[in-house]
Amino acid sequence: MTGTLTGVRPLLTVSLHQDARRIAPWVGLITALSVSSVLAYGWVFPDPASRTALARTVEGNPAFSLIFGPARELMTADGFNAWRAGALGAFFAGLMAIGIVVRNSRANEDSGQAELIASGVVGRNTRLVVAVAMAAIASVLLGVVAALVTIAFGGGAIDSITLAATFTASGLMFAGIAAVTAQIGSEARTASSLAVTVLGVAFIARGYIDTSGAPGWTIWLTPLGWTEQVEPAAANDWRPMLACLALGLLAVLAASVLQSRRDLGMGLLPPRPGPARGRGVVTAWGLALRLQRGSMISWTITFAVLGLVFGFLATTIGELFVQNPGIAQVIAAGGATTGSLIFEFLVTIVRLVGLIAAVYGVQVMMRLHAEEDELRLDPLLAGSVRRARVLASHAVIAFVGPAVAMLLGGGVIGLTAAARSDQVRAVDVLREAAVAVPAVWVLVGIALATVGAAPAIRAAAWFAIVLSFALTILGPLFNLWDWILGISPLWHVPNVTAAQPDWSGPLWLLLVALGLTLVAFLGFRRRDLA
Amino acid sequence: MDPVISIQGLAKSYGSFRALRGLDLEVAQGEVHAFLGPNGAGKSTTIRILLGLLRADEGHVSVLGQDPWRDVVALHRRLAYVPGDVSLWPALTGGEAIDLLGHLRGGLDEARRAELVERFELDPTKRGRQYSKGNKQKVAIVAALASEVELLILDEPTSGLDPLMEEVFQAEIRAEKAKGRSVLLSSHILSEAEALADRVSIIREGRIVASGSLDALRQHTRTTIRAVLSRPPADLAGLAPVQDGRLDGSVLTASVERDQVNGAMATLSRFGISELTVAPPSLSDLFLRAYGDGTAGDEPAEPSPHRRGAHRRKR
Repeated sequence: MTGTLTGVRPLLTVSLHQDARRIAPWVGLITALSVSSVLAYGWVFPDPASRTALARTVEGNPAFSLIFGPARELMTADGFNAWRAGALGAFFAGLMAIGIVVRNSRANEDSGQAELIASGVVGRNTRLVVAVAMAAIASVLLGVVAALVTIAFGGGAIDSITLAATFTASGLMFAGIAAVTAQIGSEARTASSLAVTVLGVAFIARGYIDTSGAPGWTIWLTPLGWTEQVEPAAANDWRPMLACLALGLLAVLAASVLQSRRDLGMGLLPPRPGPARGRGVVTAWGLALRLQRGSMISWTITFAVLGLVFGFLATTIGELFVQNPGIAQVIAAGGATTGSLIFEFLVTIVRLVGLIAAVYGVQVMMRLHAEEDELRLDPLLAGSVRRARVLASHAVIAFVGPAVAMLLGGGVIGLTAAARSDQVRAVDVLREAAVAVPAVWVLVGIALATVGAAPAIRAAAWFAIVLSFALTILGPLFNLWDWILGISPLWHVPNVTAAQPDWSGPLWLLLVALGLTLVAFLGFRRRDLA
Repeated sequence: MDPVISIQGLAKSYGSFRALRGLDLEVAQGEVHAFLGPNGAGKSTTIRILLGLLRADEGHVSVLGQDPWRDVVALHRRLAYVPGDVSLWPALTGGEAIDLLGHLRGGLDEARRAELVERFELDPTKRGRQYSKGNKQKVAIVAALASEVELLILDEPTSGLDPLMEEVFQAEIRAEKAKGRSVLLSSHILSEAEALADRVSIIREGRIVASGSLDALRQHTRTTIRAVLSRPPADLAGLAPVQDGRLDGSVLTASVERDQVNGAMATLSRFGISELTVAPPSLSDLFLRAYGDGTAGDEPAEPSPHRRGAHRRKR
């Protein structure tokens, strides 16, 4: 065994040193997630009355359990933290681990760095083991930091440690899964997308099972259900994490078997020869379509599936409302109808779908940046092509793709919900999705403007999505002031079933998106290329 | 005839690093102009300014009578470019990449494309990620040479080509020149430049330090003499006009001004010449001379005028 693992230590040291700057933000983000809920809880919900009101609100909108999982205990800061940071923290820890493993295994093969390393005194499995070990170290580090800092800011010791341990467990699982996908795909991008798809499916499945009133055992079907079964701050049962550990180990073993069956730099499938002549791909527009085709297809499928899932969910929650005594009271008092509550849920869901659509658009623009970074814009722009056209060819996809995805998602949600319940009109959901499009465009516009004019700060686009998520989904819960909530473009999207919807919001958003587009084109025209 | 490329006083900085410091360059119509210099001297920066990818800080640049920063579309229809480090689209085949690049320039000569694919022994059905460095280079070369353009800008085009392909490349460049096309050939392979170039410009730390035809440059450089003498002199001092003599047993290596070869022969004949080689300076002699006194690091990043003067005197 030592033969195939020679050189792990020196390579691990160097790689950790190199990757530290990219790991740190994830540890910071997830720790902040946990710390902020402990801090905010005492400040926003100081007395039992406000805490009961919080519990009522959370129960009233199943979108919360879809995203955060069931709220087991909202009367203590630790319970609140476990609910608010648990599912999200596990999701982000998974993303972190996937990034680390793919960067240090597959991406190195694409860049040729792996060849250099493999020619040195290193064993066959060394690079894979190093990549997985880095993800494991980062996950453990994340757990330790998150636990210590949360405790320092007033979290209960056992509860905080258990919660942080679920982050570590999730990181370990998805490190293993990414190790497998890194062997399957023929380039880093494919490997990441596959792993993130597994993570996304696990997350949505968990959300669906938590929200739809499915039988209890079904939660064991998704790995992210296992970390949820730990029930931090409630049961504090560490046993389900053994399953996480086992999955991670099995996946790594599978990856090492797969790796021994393929050549360096290749995927599992041997490359096939392609066309000797370029038919469609002879213009800048054709090239952009070709480069983005794969991601457009997979995102469009994703939105159709999300539409089905959320649509089904919308009909099952109607029954849950009736069974819930608190909500039944509200309905009986005439404060709301089941239909209006369902639509309130759908409005939140459409905003969530909008955030996912923004991820799609931002990714399209980041692809253009990758093209510039890898010097593939040089030969293109040495041709008889205006810079504006190259930027436009990707910008159009970044705007139109997510808009189509929104309408598709909204349409499928509406049709699915309307087919199974007479409380929801399909066209309302479609209209809600349509008016959310300008908000999505603002977020995409930030990516366009930075990639076009100032690529050094392009991470601002991802930051804007995370911030919008926090403000849109959690902001109202915290009773934040309107001017803060208004930072999120999605806050300006009206509920189309309201008596007098305010259409000025979407119009302003369109203007902002237009302004960002102008910045992008003016900046891209004037600056040096990388 | 107007020059195809004309650069005066070009300056470009990346932050505090001054990549180009007042560069002048002129490429005449129909010539192959070699642009020589080691890595990091500023060759690629100059070329990327010529292509409008970078914006000049100072100076005047004109390509085919147009401004490379403003007249991108019209200008790029008339030129083709081969980058030094070809990065192909991983999922596109070589054939697709050739057609894409050709169409972006305004069209390919179909017969020429087929001929070049054949001559460079390129498999156009492979994906970008499968090509080796040399084959990526071939894709870019075929795309450039098959385009109907007036000017070829080649940035170290043969790095990664094997010697056989290097031969093919040189023959093709001669053919392009015969058609009246102009070529700017950046290189650090001196034999290639010597074989192809009508004129050369040598760049050093962002400035042109020597420019002209090979013949003209040789005017300023001494001819090298290697002689086996039957009665070697005891003392090398009185050998004028033979200079820089070095004696190794009976073998004398020295240099002499070009117009004084005759006098040198007369001087040396006194010592009984049994073998003699008189070689005009090679391009590598010229190159080494331009770089001769010290490495690239001997000049501070921002030399004061005073320091620069001192430097020149030293040389």
